[in-house]
Amino acid sequence: MTNDHPTSGITRVDGRLKVTGAIRYAAEYPFPGLVYGALVSSTIAKGTITGINSKAAENLPGVVAVISHLNAPKVPGYQGKGDEDGPVLKTFNDNKIYFNGQPVVLVIANTFERAKYAASQIKITYQQEKHQTNIEAGLRDTIKPWGDGSDYVRGQANAYQTAPVKIEAEYRTPIHVHNAMEPFAMTALWNGDKVTVYTKSQYIKGMQREIMSMFNLPEENVTVNSKVIGGAFGSGSPLWPYAKAALIGAKMIGKPLKVVIDRGQMFTMVGYRSPAIQKLGMGATADGKLVGITHLATGETATYEQFAEGITSTTNILYDCPNVNTQYRITKLDLSVPTYTRGPGETTGVFALESAMDELAHALNMDPLELRKKNYSERDQEENLPWSSKYLNECYEMGAAHFGWEKRNQKPGSVTKDGWLVGYGVSNGVYGAGRAPCVAKARLSADGILLIQSSTSDMGPGTATVMVKIASGIINIPVENIKFELGNSSLPAAPGEYGSMTTSSVGSAVYDVCTALNEQFNQLDGKSGTAHPDYTRILKEHNLPYVEVTHKSQGSPDAQKFSTHAYCVHFVEVNVHPTLGTVKVTRVVAALDGGKILNPITARSQVIGGAVWGIGMALMEGGVLDHRYGKYVNNSLGDYHVASNADVPQIEVLFVDKADPVTNPMGSKGIGEVTIVGFAAAVANAVFNATGKRVRDLPITPDKLV
Amino acid sequence: MKQFQYQRASTQQGVLEAISKPGTKIIAGGTNLVDHMKHGLIAPDKLVDITHLPLKGITPTKTGLHLGTLALNSVVSEDALVLQKQPLLSMALKAGASPQLRNMATVGGNMMQRTRCTYFYDTTMPCNKREPGTGCGAMEGYNRMHAIFGASAQCIAVHPSDMCVALAALDATVIVVGKKGQRHIPFTEFHRLPDDHPELDNHLAKDEMIIGVDIPDNNFAKNSYYLKVRDRQSYAFALVSVAAALDLSGGTIKKARLAMGGVAHKPWRLFEAEKFMEGKSVTEETFKQAAQIALQGAKAYEYNAFKLKLAPASIVEALKQASGLA
Amino acid sequence: MEKEKNHSRPVEESDVKDNSRRDFLKKSALMTAVALTPVAAAKAAELHIDERIAGAFEKMPLNVEINGVAHNLMVEPRSTLLDILREQLDLTGTKKGCDLGQCGACTVHVDGHRVNSCLTLGIMVNGKKVTTIEGLAKGNQLHPMQEAFLKHDGFQCGYCTPGQIMSAVACVREGHANSEHEIREYMSGNICRCGAYPNIVNAIQEVKEGGMAI
Repeated sequence: MTNDHPTSGITRVDGRLKVTGAIRYAAEYPFPGLVYGALVSSTIAKGTITGINSKAAENLPGVVAVISHLNAPKVPGYQGKGDEDGPVLKTFNDNKIYFNGQPVVLVIANTFERAKYAASQIKITYQQEKHQTNIEAGLRDTIKPWGDGSDYVRGQANAYQTAPVKIEAEYRTPIHVHNAMEPFAMTALWNGDKVTVYTKSQYIKGMQREIMSMFNLPEENVTVNSKVIGGAFGSGSPLWPYAKAALIGAKMIGKPLKVVIDRGQMFTMVGYRSPAIQKLGMGATADGKLVGITHLATGETATYEQFAEGITSTTNILYDCPNVNTQYRITKLDLSVPTYTRGPGETTGVFALESAMDELAHALNMDPLELRKKNYSERDQEENLPWSSKYLNECYEMGAAHFGWEKRNQKPGSVTKDGWLVGYGVSNGVYGAGRAPCVAKARLSADGILLIQSSTSDMGPGTATVMVKIASGIINIPVENIKFELGNSSLPAAPGEYGSMTTSSVGSAVYDVCTALNEQFNQLDGKSGTAHPDYTRILKEHNLPYVEVTHKSQGSPDAQKFSTHAYCVHFVEVNVHPTLGTVKVTRVVAALDGGKILNPITARSQVIGGAVWGIGMALMEGGVLDHRYGKYVNNSLGDYHVASNADVPQIEVLFVDKADPVTNPMGSKGIGEVTIVGFAAAVANAVFNATGKRVRDLPITPDKLV
Repeated sequence: MKQFQYQRASTQQGVLEAISKPGTKIIAGGTNLVDHMKHGLIAPDKLVDITHLPLKGITPTKTGLHLGTLALNSVVSEDALVLQKQPLLSMALKAGASPQLRNMATVGGNMMQRTRCTYFYDTTMPCNKREPGTGCGAMEGYNRMHAIFGASAQCIAVHPSDMCVALAALDATVIVVGKKGQRHIPFTEFHRLPDDHPELDNHLAKDEMIIGVDIPDNNFAKNSYYLKVRDRQSYAFALVSVAAALDLSGGTIKKARLAMGGVAHKPWRLFEAEKFMEGKSVTEETFKQAAQIALQGAKAYEYNAFKLKLAPASIVEALKQASGLA
Repeated sequence: MEKEKNHSRPVEESDVKDNSRRDFLKKSALMTAVALTPVAAAKAAELHIDERIAGAFEKMPLNVEINGVAHNLMVEPRSTLLDILREQLDLTGTKKGCDLGQCGACTVHVDGHRVNSCLTLGIMVNGKKVTTIEGLAKGNQLHPMQEAFLKHDGFQCGYCTPGQIMSAVACVREGHANSEHEIREYMSGNICRCGAYPNIVNAIQEVKEGGMAI
């Protein structure tokens, strides 16, 4: 049941289905005759397949097919170009191995157990080539991912070196694996040259296009269903190799086929956050005014596809500083391609930037919050634009007051409690508040039900819930009579659910289509501008079963005259064991400028989720490779630690809750990404405050402090 | 997972007959065995399910406490007698795995756990434990979790159990049965070091089964502590763990028991450090010296050198907690 | 899903004839060896040739009560309780997150105790009572823990949620919900990647403090 609380908003409209286990995720559609696919991964990092012995597997009971480059049909989309939309790894196209863990054989059987066992009996031989998977080695051989756009200079380059007080430091962040709880899955059903898939997709229309181009099919022949997503965090947009395998396999055998990858395969088949090595130089006057910032970052990409993200972009705009130069490079390694991961780019870059600010504050013997306030940027110095809205100072004030920041001791290692060292840390998070064009359709029927449709998705934040909330502010009917349908490619076109744009983009379409619907009713009624038309009376009087409107929304051109960002300030308290080096995050206050907060209960959960990701990033997460094999040595949830319940304290969330005048009609700014940006720096800064030890390579595990 | 036959045993004799045939394995809680089968580390032809045998009891004996091999980890950890007589064991069990896994895992199964070494688990990597003669992937690889004591040129893996560290400290005895009858093995001698046969984790013969563990009564209940240092606060294996038990008289240590986890191929009992502490007064200095003695002979590898610092720090901290000095 | 009514007798060791199944399986492997091309193999599968062979010689009866309903099934001994629930009985509320006992998404109650169904062989719950998330509500009336999760927004994507709720109910019943700290520790066998932990803790505290019989 949805309860509308004026201060907290409505509970999730799909909540009941989720708490009862009734909602079906991608792998949970029981089609008659369904068969199961299990993927076999490469065990070398680079080279070619010289042979596949599948006899033993084929002879096992229930095995339907063994598919590889040896017998897969030519895929039309693999020829020539057509790679613009996503990863260019052409599954089953040839015998080339680009990374360890690449899917090379699909075994199909009539039960899951049989498919899995048969897959384990496939024997593959390789011609191995020398590989390189270590970003440290790759530093010698980098490329400019965006050409000249990879570099940025404002004022004098390296001006920090001339400042009276300066710091230089190098920071390292490891691979982060999304590790959504739901393993990736695709069930594919072909009917002649039409295909329907059930999968997890953050970008349903995009995936539809990729399938269309892969098999050279018209739009009406491809249907993508993604009604609910068990987490994705950026990993759910492309048509990944496992999905290509499912599509090829289902077409070959002519039966509904389900391919689910296992947890280990989640590390190599669906992207990850690129590791990075970053050098920061920062200089200020003795009273803390920034003179210059230099930020040089190197990330990684695959050999077969290029991925780049804005690691240094925040440095260009966060602080008022006359001299800023940043540089971003990537190196090609024999690994699977990285992809967007919650707070992509910014999360990596801001860890370094905000750690460096803390180092500078220490060098200045200045309160780190004061240093940030002193260098508050009143406009976007990179684009030379005013902010559409910026309530970062308000975040500082309310966060600091709530947290009790004034109790922070400037001298590191000086506070203890119950035998533990106590430290306070702060960090900024910033993320662009974008918006993309979106279409929504609304139909209000005589039964009093308003149905709004758009082909967006929900990987967890509660897309449908906030859309219902937005609609309920315009269409005056009971909130439980408002339905929002998403998750199907045949619905009106929506952009991908990423980049913190969904509420802004889809929400605007919902806002506009509901407004247009009211206008339609008013027109029918011969009135204009009535906020609350009497829908049922009007439908009855005109003998109409329903009124339906489709509307495309996009931001106004005026938005280009502003620079638009959401802000989050994290205040963190840690306890560090003085001899064991264990770190506990004991208190968190997150103060946000996310524009107008549309549904506080779910917005708050997103902020908490970002903080929990931040705790993981700061203290325990990191994909580890054995470079001799180019292979993960912690590709499980037992070895790759994400935060457990015991690692997370209560997290206090404060919203400025003031509308942005430019972003969208609701005045909101996306918050999903910004809530992780900077968090790890706040922890590292708190650890420094507690111990006097500066950890510059994440995660901050006990071995680094003992 | 390979298909296998399943047999539900109703008698101990039935189990012994079943396991005398090659390719047959005992299953109880299954938390580690099923995991191994899914990873393809083993592919038994047959499993014999012993969970219906009457070996679940936790019972007082004349000299202590008996734990049936099938007593669940969760049940043991909350048992009134265990809490009263051997709180160290309860603490160790609660530090292990998760509530769900502890509801499945048994005393015997916990002892039979195998290493969590990533090279052991990954069938594409070399591992002398999994496949003798293939080499040790960890030695020159990612060995952060690995042994600092008792490793061999063949294997540097560690035993993953918490429970076993406590039982090693508490002078427990393992009771096993085979066709020739019962034998009693001191807990500290049940597991073995890798030497030239890392494929063998313990001294249980292939045709024997564990039926229980005896723990002698002691005076440690008031002053014992299990410290587990790990990468997150729960549901993770130990970087280093310490079971510390003290029998104090005023400010003097009458008896001390000390064992470590996460540092060796077996629960690592620190006899020399114990001996050193006996008769000494309860001071941080005593504990620091004991820790120094404990670390004699320790050897680190590329990624686990931190254990040379973390281990003594953990010993001191555990002893402080146990003695009330903290 | 296959059901077989006439198998209510528990299987004891005397039932197992070691070699007959093995031999027949070898033969069945030879029989399927003729069907190597995908199309031919698909046809063989359609005719359920393998099923009949393997069903008779590789499957065993499993009698189990799930959410109050008695099921008489034939299962392969290697099938986990999780896969039986999800793939044979279409009880997909129980989730597969890691399949290795490292996340807790598959948590169900067996005879009232929470366990990881991914590491539980189905055949080993013979004669037991299993409760899954689908069996928690009474008709349309949600279980208090389900209500509390809704109210406190104890989830986002919802994938770990059934496991969290089953674990949370057990946590209260076990008497391990006496403080925030204790709840966190006793809920740490359930990983939530969306990070709903504080809300989950609040939900459990409310149910615990409500004192309702759960």
